[in-house]
Amino acid sequence: MIHQIIFLYFATVILVSALLMITRRNPIHSVLFMLLLFFHIAGLFVLLNAEFLAAVQLIVYAGAILILYLFVVMLLNVDQERQSVRANRFWPWVAAFGVLIAGEILLLISRSTFPGDAGKTMATPGAGVMELGQALYTQYLVPFEIASVILLVGLIGAVMLAKKAVKE
Amino acid sequence: MNTAISISGLKALLPFLIMTAAAMVVMLGIAFRRDHRFTVLLTLAGLALGGGSLVFTPFAPDRYVTTLVLVDAFAGYYLALLFAAAFAVVCLSYSYLEIQGGHREEYYLLVLLAVLGAAVLAAATHFASFFLGIEILSVSLYGLTAYQRHRDQSVEAGVKYLILAAVSSAFILFGMALVYAEVGSMEFARIAIRAGAAGGALLGTGLVLIIVGLGFKLAVVPFHLWTPDVYEGAPAPVTAFIATVSKGAVFALVLRFFGNMDIRVGGALFLIFTIIAVASMFFGNLLALMQQNVKRVLAYSSISHIGYLLVTLLAAGPLRLNASAFYLAAYFVTTLGVFGVVTVLSTRDRDADKLDDYRGLAWRRPWLAGVFTAMLLSLAGIPLTAGFIAKFYLVAAGIGSALWLLVIVLIVNSAIGLFYYLRIIGAVYSMDGPPGPSMPISLSGSAALGGLTLALLWLGIYPGPFLALIGSLMQTAH
Amino acid sequence: MILAWLIIIPLAGGVAAWAAGRKDGHWPRRLSLAALLIDAVLFVVIWRDAATEPALARGTWLAELHLNWIPQFGIGIHLAMDGLSLVLVGLTLFLGMLSILCSWTEIRDRIGFFHANVMAILAGILGVFLSLDLFLFYFFWELMLVPMYFLIAIWGHENRQYASLKFFIFTQAGGLFMLLSILALYFIHHAGTGVYTFDYSLLLGTPLAPMTSLLVMLGFLISFVVKLPMVPFHPWLPDAHTEAPTAGSVILAGLLLKTGAYGIIRFVLPLFPLTAPVIAPAMQAFAVIGILYGALLSFAQTDLKRLVAYTSVSHMGFVLLGIFAMNTTSLQGAVMQMLAHGVSTGALFILVGLVQERMHTRDMERMGGLWSAVPRLSGMALVFGLAALGLPGFGNFVAEFLVLLGTYRMSPATAAIAAAGLVLSAVYALWMVQRAFQGNRRWSGSLPDLSLRETGIMALLVIAIFWLGLYPGRVLDITRPLVSTMQFIPPSANQLDARTGGPAHDRMP
Repeated sequence: MIHQIIFLYFATVILVSALLMITRRNPIHSVLFMLLLFFHIAGLFVLLNAEFLAAVQLIVYAGAILILYLFVVMLLNVDQERQSVRANRFWPWVAAFGVLIAGEILLLISRSTFPGDAGKTMATPGAGVMELGQALYTQYLVPFEIASVILLVGLIGAVMLAKKAVKE
Repeated sequence: MNTAISISGLKALLPFLIMTAAAMVVMLGIAFRRDHRFTVLLTLAGLALGGGSLVFTPFAPDRYVTTLVLVDAFAGYYLALLFAAAFAVVCLSYSYLEIQGGHREEYYLLVLLAVLGAAVLAAATHFASFFLGIEILSVSLYGLTAYQRHRDQSVEAGVKYLILAAVSSAFILFGMALVYAEVGSMEFARIAIRAGAAGGALLGTGLVLIIVGLGFKLAVVPFHLWTPDVYEGAPAPVTAFIATVSKGAVFALVLRFFGNMDIRVGGALFLIFTIIAVASMFFGNLLALMQQNVKRVLAYSSISHIGYLLVTLLAAGPLRLNASAFYLAAYFVTTLGVFGVVTVLSTRDRDADKLDDYRGLAWRRPWLAGVFTAMLLSLAGIPLTAGFIAKFYLVAAGIGSALWLLVIVLIVNSAIGLFYYLRIIGAVYSMDGPPGPSMPISLSGSAALGGLTLALLWLGIYPGPFLALIGSLMQTAH
Repeated sequence: MILAWLIIIPLAGGVAAWAAGRKDGHWPRRLSLAALLIDAVLFVVIWRDAATEPALARGTWLAELHLNWIPQFGIGIHLAMDGLSLVLVGLTLFLGMLSILCSWTEIRDRIGFFHANVMAILAGILGVFLSLDLFLFYFFWELMLVPMYFLIAIWGHENRQYASLKFFIFTQAGGLFMLLSILALYFIHHAGTGVYTFDYSLLLGTPLAPMTSLLVMLGFLISFVVKLPMVPFHPWLPDAHTEAPTAGSVILAGLLLKTGAYGIIRFVLPLFPLTAPVIAPAMQAFAVIGILYGALLSFAQTDLKRLVAYTSVSHMGFVLLGIFAMNTTSLQGAVMQMLAHGVSTGALFILVGLVQERMHTRDMERMGGLWSAVPRLSGMALVFGLAALGLPGFGNFVAEFLVLLGTYRMSPATAAIAAAGLVLSAVYALWMVQRAFQGNRRWSGSLPDLSLRETGIMALLVIAIFWLGLYPGRVLDITRPLVSTMQFIPPSANQLDARTGGPAHDRMP
């Protein structure tokens, strides 16, 4: 029961802050609502006994990515553009489409059984990090290494696109 | 199944390790000495080494390296194809970038990494390797597509590709999540068993979402909208890369993922793929008729070609893998050849994508025009070229599985396709072109085109040995 | 192996001509002619063998070659020659040489590439006449197309782009239907016997359900009647023939159309012995329509070349009629008509080319009175005009007579209507001669008459058409084994007795 109340709290805040994030005119406010959102998603992970994921969520998203966003927003002085219209005339269609998709997913979930979850996808409390580490360095070693290459690619691509043009 | 990687497993990963190492070496090489030719040579050496390592790689039908990667003959064949295609692209890129200004060296780094991503796709048997492969490939391609930063078109194409690839990745990821929720496994083999038995609504929805995502990557109708713009905007050798390496690797994955499933006639998957195939053939060809820009014509033509290729996915029996393997090889050679000609004709300011660039080419540069004609005829499926044998094989596979509708649509579309290929050929041989050759073609460009033409004719005239090779490789893969 | 050389030598000659064309304009012509002369020598060797050996009487192949090509698909290089192939190969080489000769002065640029294309077409045609592997046959069938497209598109007249595209699309679409049918046959044969093969001799006995048989046969037939052309599939013909350069028109009318007829005789009738008679009445009707329609339309033309093009529709109608009258007499007539039409129409196209080269127009309204200016040329036009209308003494007369005789036995009414085509052909042939060559001059200036080279070309053609007309026995002898061993299963029993299973006893008197 208490579990469910906590879940409901997190879920409500996630939804509300998501809505606020996309409706604020001031980009800095939006970023701050996103921060709130990430914190509460981390809370959901804790509820699922996935402490490691919760920590990663906070460190990576809240700690690194959002700070980067804030820097970008402030450096670019996007503030000046906050008067611009953020929703164009298509927004009712987009909203309707979103509601439709959400409805479909709800329908799908309500109609489905989850035979795959037979108790094994839920981590046991406290053991998550070690298991994760073991899996990452044995069975999932290949993708782990490959994932590092993605970062490299992103880095090269970004540097290449961002650097100044050389003069002949 | 052993979860740790053994020594033999590492050996099986040799081509992947070499590709990664090649990227590192090239990166260090650039840091050490920024020289275009040097970088290209390093890149070519890396690709050649990767291709050469395939000889020593212990391929076996059950050579799983963990559950993520299966290094069997199927993967081996596609790895060889991808490496060879990348080799040709690098040769063409050299002649293309040599006349461009700016830093050219990082380009090859991205090509090598993209090939690595493609290679992972060709060997993937697990959602994790599937997704990582797709991401490495796509992220490299964002950079490559936008490489000509001084051209607005190129940047626009890069942004378009970025957004659409990100959307498609999201579809794939969501689909994977749904499939996992029902099956409880991310291994292709288990998913296939489950899908064959009694797939629930979640599994079905997940598969459809994955098809949508892969549809974007393959550029099949109705997920093709990005194709003409990206083909037009990207530098010509990058377009060649997208058309061949990227699509080929994704198709290999499609074969691996859906190939194990029971795509029964009348089933939902069968219906979806049939609709996609028929729509791709018709839309691709009909829209190509209306284009004036050569790169856009080729973009639509590639849409229809993937539509043809989907026939093999629906065909049953041993012909399926053989036909798609041969078709892809022929399609690679032909597409690289066509874009190779576009590449060597491009100037510093713009790519040779207007029909007027080709008017009277036959009298200015007879050899190049001959190559171009051969490639276009191969795309059209005229005998003596690889494209004919490939299309023949497709039709054979289709009739062998009694896919009459698809075969007839394919044949009707072959006739439609002739129109626009002939229009380009007609321009090449028209009498009223501008006079005189403008600039010489670089050695690497002509070498690549020469090799591709020889391959085209070899596959078209004497395909026996190559078919035998494919036959023996795919037999063990089954 | 001699058969392979027959095809390889022209191809090699074409490549050599192309290479030589970059230096000098004359070498491509000489090289092409030399290649065809070598081929002609080979042809004479085979012809002499054919005449002496008892092979002719046995009705087996005069020469055969069987090699593996793509064993995985059961595709082989299976070439073989019987009497029918022999005479058609002869026609191909003859008209091939003439078309090189007649473009000696007409083609002035891209000479090397022109000859490469001509030689590639000829090689494709020779391949079609010699292939006994269906895949190889399709391969050569397509090989003819692309160079022909170039020939029209590059060296053609005013409307060449449109005409070449139309030609290509029509024939290619037809070809794809044939491919579908070939594959269907291939898979049906595999389902029945477990053997994947495209070999004609193995596929011959493939049992087919009636409906399947009909569909598969129609696939072949569409492709062949587009080439032939049969009336409603003819619209490509007048455009292509009119716009092509002279050599292109000669090859199109003289040879390419024959490949369609050859395909029906060689493949449709033997592969579908039970189904072909079912549609024979319909095909006869189409043939008769073609005869009349072609003749009427050619009468209505003012463009000299277009007029000749429409006569082809009419004459090829006789070939179709002869084939689907389905007896040995009519079939022999059809073969004869293929040869005679090849020579006579080839000659007419060459004449039109000569006129156009001199007057720079094909419009008959701007000719007239040519006889006084160029008597030799006009005389030749009269000769071949008479040949086209089927005057006795010319090959066309023998051919049309045989066709009508054979048809009369099957259906007197059909024969009677077809004979009306002969009357019409007299009208258009004489009308052409009168409007273009006689009457008042509607032009000014002076024109040169036939040169020595041109006289030589015309002399060869005249000899050929008279030889066919006055001494047809030789050709009929050589083609007889094929047509007489062909087992026709008649729709009704009052004609040939096929129930005995032996060859039909219906020989030429």
